[in-house]
Amino acid sequence: MEMISFLNFYLIPGIVIGSIYALGAIGLTLIFSIMRHAHLAHGDMAALGAFLALAGITTIGLPAYAALPLAVIATGLIAIGIDKLFYSHLRTRPKILTTISTLGIALMIRSVVQIVWGVDTRLYSNGISRPQNWFGLKIKAVEMYTLSAVVLFVVALVLFLTKSKWGKAMRAMSDNRNLALLSGVDNNKVVALTWLISGGLCAASGYFLGMNTELKSMMGWNILLPTFAAAILGGVGKIEGAVAGGLIIGIVEELSVMVIPSEYKALSAFAILLLVLLVRPRGLFKGKIL
Amino acid sequence: MSAILAMTQLRGGYSETDILHGVSIEVAAHEIVAIVGPNGAGKSTAMKAIFGLLNVRAGSVVANGVDITGWSPNRIVQAGVSYVPQVDNIFGEMTVHENLEMGAFLRKGDFSASADRVYQLFPDLKAKRKTLAGSLSGGQRQMVAMGRALMLDPKILLLDEPTAGLSPKYMEQIFQISRDVRDSGVAILLVEQHAKQALAFADRGYVLAAGGNRHHGTGRELLADRAVAEMFLGG
Amino acid sequence: MDILATLNYPVYLAIFVCIYGCLAIGLNVQWGYAGLFNAGVAGFFAVGAYTSAILTSPDVEDRLGGFDLPVPVGIAGAMLMAALVAWPIGKICLRFRGDYLAIVTIGVAEAIRLVARSEDWLTGSTRGVNDVPRPFGSLPYAYSQLAFLALAAAAVVVVYILVERQSVSPWGRMMRAIRDNEDAAAAMGKNVPQRRLQAFVLGAAFMGLGGALYAHLGRSITPEAIDPMISSFLIWIMVILGGSGNNRGVLLGVLVVWVIWSASEFITDLLPTAISLQAKYGRIFVIGLVLQLVLRFRPEGILPEPLSKPRVDLGKEVTERV
Repeated sequence: MEMISFLNFYLIPGIVIGSIYALGAIGLTLIFSIMRHAHLAHGDMAALGAFLALAGITTIGLPAYAALPLAVIATGLIAIGIDKLFYSHLRTRPKILTTISTLGIALMIRSVVQIVWGVDTRLYSNGISRPQNWFGLKIKAVEMYTLSAVVLFVVALVLFLTKSKWGKAMRAMSDNRNLALLSGVDNNKVVALTWLISGGLCAASGYFLGMNTELKSMMGWNILLPTFAAAILGGVGKIEGAVAGGLIIGIVEELSVMVIPSEYKALSAFAILLLVLLVRPRGLFKGKIL
Repeated sequence: MSAILAMTQLRGGYSETDILHGVSIEVAAHEIVAIVGPNGAGKSTAMKAIFGLLNVRAGSVVANGVDITGWSPNRIVQAGVSYVPQVDNIFGEMTVHENLEMGAFLRKGDFSASADRVYQLFPDLKAKRKTLAGSLSGGQRQMVAMGRALMLDPKILLLDEPTAGLSPKYMEQIFQISRDVRDSGVAILLVEQHAKQALAFADRGYVLAAGGNRHHGTGRELLADRAVAEMFLGG
Repeated sequence: MDILATLNYPVYLAIFVCIYGCLAIGLNVQWGYAGLFNAGVAGFFAVGAYTSAILTSPDVEDRLGGFDLPVPVGIAGAMLMAALVAWPIGKICLRFRGDYLAIVTIGVAEAIRLVARSEDWLTGSTRGVNDVPRPFGSLPYAYSQLAFLALAAAAVVVVYILVERQSVSPWGRMMRAIRDNEDAAAAMGKNVPQRRLQAFVLGAAFMGLGGALYAHLGRSITPEAIDPMISSFLIWIMVILGGSGNNRGVLLGVLVVWVIWSASEFITDLLPTAISLQAKYGRIFVIGLVLQLVLRFRPEGILPEPLSKPRVDLGKEVTERV
């Protein structure tokens, strides 16, 4: 097939969905490496963020593009709240109990979404958006928005983690928890920061998923597996790994329809996950193994 | 001698069983004190007890005139006591300089003077300040670990087996640097497996066995003591 | 005759308690005994249900089938198939900590659901497998129900006795030793990975049994029966609420949760249609909340494990005291 068609039909959609996975994977890998447990409610939290943005549009009348910051902050704060209410009481127990708890929270969040917004499909805005022509590449405005926002988020996060005191504290906690505590890092502050950032990134990934496709109550659960695959592929605890992992999973998913039936597109992430665990469990960038 | 750090009759353990059965240790400023003893004597445990990592059931620990018994490590650090654990004592995924920054985490204001002092003590590290600490050699990693602890400008420095696994060259360097730190007024307490070398370079020493005090005196006295030699110095 | 009619609902309830009992005991073997977090129970349930259905149902065009085998063969096949699916999963994941197994089992359940929905030639996709024979199906309704209850009860009793026997045996003691202090058990020379794999596969087989019974009860199996998470989740809360590691507790948990779940369905049906739909989703929220409360206040469950010693968590950081 022609290169230009390849780019337009496979690579660009793959990069777009991949960057959505990347946002989710970053939050997930932060929680894995600082909180040391799997966050099975990550997908449904992304869905919550997406629907909160929708609420901003439908109730306050925000324009679609402006609903993002609202959703990011709201979801970040909700994430902190959930941790305080539920996970914090399980910290002295084996971590697996916290993971089980996150599964329960996932269903609780999903049921709240279903109660408030129902199970029908919703859209941020009606009307078809037509792709614009950029030297032969067909990219929609929403796709450009998505990609530039993701780049911005990643750059902002990397700057925070490398240049600010609390960003370094988070990295220290991820690196060597005991030593970080011995150095006087406040555990509660780092925990709150971790949830704030991960929750916010969740909201962003849900928002952009909704912007590029549609909103429905199961949307979060549907991206849970690819997001986890991306985080583990990249290497637990590695931000650059989460970004790379997300992009790879997104592109492979799009490419997979060339060889497997399209119903099974969702399983290509699962296949990659199994492969990583079999062959290189520390992932591309040599992260931790939990 | 006025002790700046005093552990008195400490009894405690990690869970229900006691490992220490009434241990007493004192360190003054400008002094290096070594804790030595056979395997399982409770040396590292005694150090952990000072730093709040143990369940203390009786006795007390006083540092800088403040009773810190039962305090959390977080609080103890803020009281001017710095601890270098035996293992996992650096941030391997952060640069040397970032390790030092984390050492100064609790300090307010500018700490570049402390960083300069650390680089003076460890010139090797200055060249590698932007290198990831985890990629350094064992001896250099130990220097990063000590440097990190010194960034707090502590009055009391606890070193848990600082020369474990190091070549003689690095061992000597660590000892030399410790002397420099002591001379600047810090009280240093260290646990050592290499008893002979430790007692040779320390000012005073305590010999522990089976969770209790056995002997104490100056380094030289202990080295000359036949009873101590019989215990474990292997002649 | 009237007496039997009033018994219909309780009998139906009891049958489900037995079926869920098989699933829950299966999960208990994996979690309570071996400490494995299988979040994809529904997947093994589905494998069992479809296997038995395909093996025992008559021929249908364009679909694998027509074996017309007797029900006991179908059930045995179901258990075997579930065990066969569990084996490679276990081989890959059991090396790692529980969280990885959780995600992979979620993926497995999703994969099985997708296959069930898409592979027409195997599962009849959305139509499913119908005409699944029902044991004692030719009897009048009430008697047929009672007879099936007897079958389901027999199944769960057999599973219960089997597991109880195993748990007081050296095998069971070793499993608990591995769960509570893996390093010590390994140091004693126990082949830890092999034991955990055994537990995983055995538990999966029991889940297959539950699935097979379900298919024969309803005379059909469709992908709708394998809801993405709710059935897996219900079984989890049954086990945790009842008492991980204690089979009696687990069965009690099944009873309690299933009664609450059914009662809440009943109640929400009575509500005005305006809020009835919302209320249905609310049921799941409440169940999720119950799980959080149990995890926080009584993670050992209503009937805790009788011989449990306090967990010795050597990895616990003492610096955690703040």
